[in-house]
Amino acid sequence: MNVSEAHLHQLMTRSLAGDAAAYRLFLSGCQMWLTRFYARRMAPSQIDDLVQETLISVHNKRASYDPARPFLPWLAAIARYRWIDQLRKTGRAKEVELDDTLGVDSEEDVIAAKLSLDCLLDQIKPEQASVIRLVKIGGLSIAEAAAKSGQSEPLVKVNIHRGLKRMAALVESE
Amino acid sequence: MNTQNLIESLAADLQPIKPIQPRNGISIVLATACVVALIVIAIFGLRHDLRAGAPNPIVIVRGGLLILLGLATSFAVTRAARPAVGQGQNGWGWALAAALMLPLAAVLIYCSHIVNAEPFVKGEMDFAYGPYCLGISSASAVLIGAVQTLWLRRGAPTDLHRAGWLVGLAAGSFGTFAYSLHCPSNSIYYVGLFYGLAVGLCAVIGRFVVPRLIKW
Repeated sequence: MNVSEAHLHQLMTRSLAGDAAAYRLFLSGCQMWLTRFYARRMAPSQIDDLVQETLISVHNKRASYDPARPFLPWLAAIARYRWIDQLRKTGRAKEVELDDTLGVDSEEDVIAAKLSLDCLLDQIKPEQASVIRLVKIGGLSIAEAAAKSGQSEPLVKVNIHRGLKRMAALVESE
Repeated sequence: MNTQNLIESLAADLQPIKPIQPRNGISIVLATACVVALIVIAIFGLRHDLRAGAPNPIVIVRGGLLILLGLATSFAVTRAARPAVGQGQNGWGWALAAALMLPLAAVLIYCSHIVNAEPFVKGEMDFAYGPYCLGISSASAVLIGAVQTLWLRRGAPTDLHRAGWLVGLAAGSFGTFAYSLHCPSNSIYYVGLFYGLAVGLCAVIGRFVVPRLIKW
């Protein structure tokens, strides 16, 4: 399947005019492109769901595409928006303990995600990064993180909030 | 549902669709701003110097800056409706900087006691008009902002907070312009304080209200 800019642009233009056959090919091409896009950013188990959500967004928001302009920057903007939205949802979701019986696949994506995370943490202030590591990654309580980092509890909360906000901004500007 | 089934159902749902046009977004906002200005004039009346066809210079300056800011931010809103990675959208910042000249000029004149500025700021700084200014400007902006938000919902803004600021600034600028056609004050202090407050208030309201309405 050809997922080049020119091919997708042509299919999208025909789809806007109501060509269902072109639209099927177009969505299949988008699916491939999106799978690759998210593979570097998400855990493998989340990719399919996110690709489907993004395809629905592409469908619902296709009127916002200007056929006079390149297609892939538009698709990338839609994909990035859905990705950031997914990160926010994940951040708000209650964490549950993993079942010990779960199988373990390749750790390549986990390592890639950790590298990305480390890269982001390196770009924020050290006092923010340290409490984010202690609380959000290490699982310590605010009080424990305060004792370990030497920061007051309110300061730990503020630093976590500001650090996460800064990291989100870095992700959005990527 | 697997992805192939989803693609089939989306293809079955396909209808021809016209891409959204930025000029429509601008036209709708300008038409609404004109209607709002006419309503303000009909209810509160037109300034006497405008009625006489000889406006005070400050009326032209403040009106021009408000229209410039409203147009620049409205264009930025229409660009935000059609997203693309790598697309710069910072032109409206220059218009905002230009509009900030009014409050800045007021502060400079106040601080430096420029004697020659006296005729320009002759209009009395009447705080009694302040609440009217804020109320009428904000109410006008709500109508304009509502129409702009409705139009923006058809698009795909990817930075909702910035879109909220922009809608607030655009609506606030045009709403305050509508009020300025009635506003009897010629004082740069008044314009700097209350017009700045009105536009700023609308921008803050836009920042907090609009993202909830355009989230997709």
